[in-house]
Amino acid sequence: MKQLLMACAFFASAIAVPVYAHHSMTGFDRAKTVNLVGTIKGFGWVNPHSWIEMEVPDGKGGSTTWNVEMTAPGILAKAGWKSNTIKAGDKVTVAVHPLLTGEPGGLFVSVTLPDGKVMMERNPPPAPAKP
Amino acid sequence: MKALAILFLITGALVSQGIAQDQLGALAPANLNKSRPAAPFDITGTWQHSGGRDNPFQFAPPPGFKLTPASQIQYDAAQKARKEGKAYHDDIGQCWPAGLPVIMTRVWPIAMVQKPTAIYMISAFLNAVRIVYLDGRPHTDPDVVVRTFNGESIGHYEGDTLVIDTTGFVNDHHWIDNGVPVTDALHIVEKMRLIDKGATLEIETIASDPKSWEGEWKWTKRFKRMDDTDITEAECLPNVNDHLPSTKSSLNVR
Repeated sequence: MKQLLMACAFFASAIAVPVYAHHSMTGFDRAKTVNLVGTIKGFGWVNPHSWIEMEVPDGKGGSTTWNVEMTAPGILAKAGWKSNTIKAGDKVTVAVHPLLTGEPGGLFVSVTLPDGKVMMERNPPPAPAKP
Repeated sequence: MKALAILFLITGALVSQGIAQDQLGALAPANLNKSRPAAPFDITGTWQHSGGRDNPFQFAPPPGFKLTPASQIQYDAAQKARKEGKAYHDDIGQCWPAGLPVIMTRVWPIAMVQKPTAIYMISAFLNAVRIVYLDGRPHTDPDVVVRTFNGESIGHYEGDTLVIDTTGFVNDHHWIDNGVPVTDALHIVEKMRLIDKGATLEIETIASDPKSWEGEWKWTKRFKRMDDTDITEAECLPNVNDHLPSTKSSLNVR
């Protein structure tokens, strides 16, 4: 599983996004970004943290359930998210900072939706004005 | 006899709600309408710790700090866990309240409503409630007070500053920083004032806890007025935590 993840890993735009957490975020490997290609099982639009649950094929005919931790819906909404932006059954690619332990969990970085649109937790800051 | 029994019942109910027998509630019209000097400011609004390198959200121990032996054991264990990439007693992640002073600088806004008799603070962070009484009441008898994570706050004005004295804290699952526990001996004094023409709330926090550390620790934090937001309902729930890897990871030292 780990090898499979490594093979499809390292999302190109691994931008360090500050996370408004309600608790410790020590256990994630922020130096690594992994792409999870799979099917949405559930999407929690809830305080204090939204979450994604998805099934990721393990390359052996089965799949692994991953949980992905996100920021609060209020922050997501400012970046254009809605409660139905992703839904069960959607085929997506979710980039995460994985847990250091190798357990199937991660901290959200971005999602590529079925239509190819990429969404993050926050919109990138506007480019500085030209002098 | 029956009347006496009813009187006892009423008295008991009032005490159980934290109201001394001769103390009017903070929202009683007779209390609100009492003649008092005008407050120097009104902090009614939504505020959030503004962050920044010179304004960290942590209440870290000062340089040269000295802990009690019991706290030093916890601190050393937390440092060891940090080196191993682990979270040490992340009680907040397990739904324990953050408690004062940590609750003030969580990365969530706080709604503050100021009345002549009290300031009501409701954090968007799990809707933690804090009430600062301004009506002249004393602290509750330590043997009677119901101990809480935010404690019992009594405030008064000194010039342009609101001085808040808080005691009555719980004795467990309450931390002031990573690996630094606080106890029922915690005593916090906060000095609040508005600066930047009311756009910034500045709070100096002075904390002592002789069961956990020696002397007084001080920090000054700044908060920005957030006129474009409201707090929302938020609960720490088991079925939400089930989907949050950071709360379930084996890297959590408990």
